[in-house]
Amino acid sequence: MIMAELQDAPLAAAPAAAPTPSLLDRVRAIAQGPLRAAADATDRGTYPREVLQSLGAAGAYAAHIGPGAEPGDYMAAIRAMTEVSRVCGASGFMVWCQQVCGLYMQQSGNPALTGERLLAHSSGARLGATGMSNPMKAYAGIETLLLRATPVPGGYRINGTLPWVSNLGPDHYAGVLAHVDDPQGAARELMFLLACDAPGVELRDCPSFSAMEGTNTWAIRCTDVFIAADAVLADPAQPYIARIRGAFVLLQTGFGLGVAQGAIDSMWRVEPQLGHVNGFLDDRPDDLQDELDALTARIEGLCATPLNTDREHLINVLDVRAHASELALRAAQSALLHAGARGYLLSSDVQRRVRESHFVAIVTPAIKHLRKEIARLSAPEMPA
Amino acid sequence: MTASAAAPWLQFICEVCGLIYDEAQGDPDCGLPAGTRFADIPDDWACPICGVGKAEFTPYTPADAVAVQPRRARPAAAPLRGGRAEAGVLIVGAGRAGWQVAQALRERDAAVPITVVCACAGDVYDKPQLSVAVARGTAIEGLVRESASTAARRLNVRLLHTTAAVRLDTATRTLRTTRGPLRWRHLVLAHGAEPALPAVLPPALVWRINDLATYTRLRAALASGPQRIAIIGAGMVGCELANDLALAGHSLTLLDAQTRPLSAQLPAAAGARLLQAWADLPIRFIGGVEVTGVTRQPEGGLAVLTVCGAEHAADHVIAATGLRTPGRLARSAGLAFDSGAGGINADAATGATSHPGIYALGDCAAVDGRVSRYIEPIARQARAIADAIVGIATAPAAVAALPPLLRVKTSSLPMTLTATRPPTDEGHWVTDSDDAQGLRMRRLAADGTLLATLVASAATPAAPLATGRATPTAR
Repeated sequence: MIMAELQDAPLAAAPAAAPTPSLLDRVRAIAQGPLRAAADATDRGTYPREVLQSLGAAGAYAAHIGPGAEPGDYMAAIRAMTEVSRVCGASGFMVWCQQVCGLYMQQSGNPALTGERLLAHSSGARLGATGMSNPMKAYAGIETLLLRATPVPGGYRINGTLPWVSNLGPDHYAGVLAHVDDPQGAARELMFLLACDAPGVELRDCPSFSAMEGTNTWAIRCTDVFIAADAVLADPAQPYIARIRGAFVLLQTGFGLGVAQGAIDSMWRVEPQLGHVNGFLDDRPDDLQDELDALTARIEGLCATPLNTDREHLINVLDVRAHASELALRAAQSALLHAGARGYLLSSDVQRRVRESHFVAIVTPAIKHLRKEIARLSAPEMPA
Repeated sequence: MTASAAAPWLQFICEVCGLIYDEAQGDPDCGLPAGTRFADIPDDWACPICGVGKAEFTPYTPADAVAVQPRRARPAAAPLRGGRAEAGVLIVGAGRAGWQVAQALRERDAAVPITVVCACAGDVYDKPQLSVAVARGTAIEGLVRESASTAARRLNVRLLHTTAAVRLDTATRTLRTTRGPLRWRHLVLAHGAEPALPAVLPPALVWRINDLATYTRLRAALASGPQRIAIIGAGMVGCELANDLALAGHSLTLLDAQTRPLSAQLPAAAGARLLQAWADLPIRFIGGVEVTGVTRQPEGGLAVLTVCGAEHAADHVIAATGLRTPGRLARSAGLAFDSGAGGINADAATGATSHPGIYALGDCAAVDGRVSRYIEPIARQARAIADAIVGIATAPAAVAALPPLLRVKTSSLPMTLTATRPPTDEGHWVTDSDDAQGLRMRRLAADGTLLATLVASAATPAAPLATGRATPTAR
């Protein structure tokens, strides 16, 4: 029933996007096959490069990229991410990293980063990351910017360290942002694509996380890294960030939806044996599924205008992201209660999903960050 | 090193991940022995948790005694913790309407769980006072009648203040807020209306006075001494504020599209009398102008621009250009919304909206195709909603609309308009007396029926607010 809905809904929503059902079929085949086989190893520390690249070949990173700067089918991209996250939250998160990095490149309008370069990215031939957690928190007044850019002839020199950037690798790159130290120019920021193999870039190990260890997450230390115009995503970055912010957050809903769906799937799996006692639990799978379906429909509505910068739209986008986090937390928790000890085994996807749901809730923007931002957007602007 | 060894060991916190570097402990894993001063750490050292450099560390005082204010004023004895089993009555808004519903409910049912969610601080105050506080010599602190926490305790209400209500989900009966989702059995929308700012006026430069917090900030901004204030809109709120701020010694410019103040509510003769009464106050009325914008001047200060090319200099600009009901919550639940009147459709007898279990009252509600932005109906609406929630049939007389009564609290010339029926454009005004004692007029229908009476007299002191039948909620 759920499968049928997943197949039918994009057709109804975007009749022009004919390849959508087959994209979803292809992604599902990978998710249920090689991705499922690799999920445990990915949780514990093995980066699933082949699976991620096969998802790219299937089209999972291209659906949301339209012609030129036009948005593509965001719901198709989110559904692909959902299918992946349903099986493996870590891989679903990396699908988002890759998708949003593609968004950065597309929206840059930089000929050196669109065209062939974007094609290689959106097909999964090249892999990329996003180091925008720190800037997003900086814009919300939670942190200060950690990278500094100094203007030099022909470009900028970058210094500083960004913690916890995922989906990295020796031949990967990441969209990042630096404060520009320019005594002559106006105060501004620079957003650029940082190549992991550029001179002066060092990837540093982070202590272990409790889950999703195979996401190739490192701290990036920059020492006098030179950035030329061909790597610039936006200068100044503020108007560009304002334009892509909603799409950035909206795409993220895919891994929350997927983790929640995976949890609901696991509840149904134990229903034949344990339904007689699980009926005493709250947050039952049919209730959660109703809530998830309603949330998915709401997200689909917002996908009609992913680059909308209107305040009401942004509040709605932040709220669906928060709701997806809350639902993933509740569903994963309830799935463990439904499964009992068999779900508590270290080899069980049920307990893995509990840890993945925690990640959904704390990765930038975290639930608290989303609510703070909604509160800020809800308050009327007044004279200082 | 030796000199500083006597100094107490200091701690430094990583602003990114929260790791604390303690000089006494050092960081032996990274080659920093215990007792390594932060200043002596090599520059290439990185945070052992997140990898950022020394520059991201700031001095840290353990157990920083920052007084953390409890956000939720939760009565200690009440078992009102959130939870799906305890979904009771959820009230959105803690203005007069919200608190009155809480009060009326508590009078009828001592046990029903009540939660109040509000974007403001939740303190109880009389909004009409905001436009007459100077004339009445009321200090800002004196405006709060009861603090939010005291009111919450008194009514045994769980209060979530400074909390934005984001969305209603009727399928799960959940209100999504910036403090988390809240479930309801009965939901009361009492979130009021918000100032309607014309698109040409930049919100960052123009004040709108519709709540205590903003009014407090305005008063603080005006505290340094007499200033030039431009008020756009000479309706009731604009006139009352102009009158009041002029009494405080500021120079007022009052602009309106019409040629007389109060022209939407009162006959031209009343507006003319008000201008006469203001003759000794520093109020300049500029009528018949269309404001096209407000800009910051290069030399400091602001300028109000008009379509005729005039620029009116001011230190502060206030827009008093009417109210509108925010539609976000109503839209999210698909509630019937009267877009003509500008309010959520609410039943006159019960306050019920188009969705079962959801009620609306006060400034956000449209009853019989009209919104009321006055104090008068609120208490009756609150009682009717409380009755409906606890299942008491309300006597029809209790909810029957009273004839509107309008008080313009301009101390130079207080005015009272008593209508026999809801305001219309029907009829014509006749003047009964217009002399040194004041102005008395009647509005008559074509057949001679009395529609309204107007009394404007400086000799008559304004009646105390609390006793007014229908004191306008001047903002």
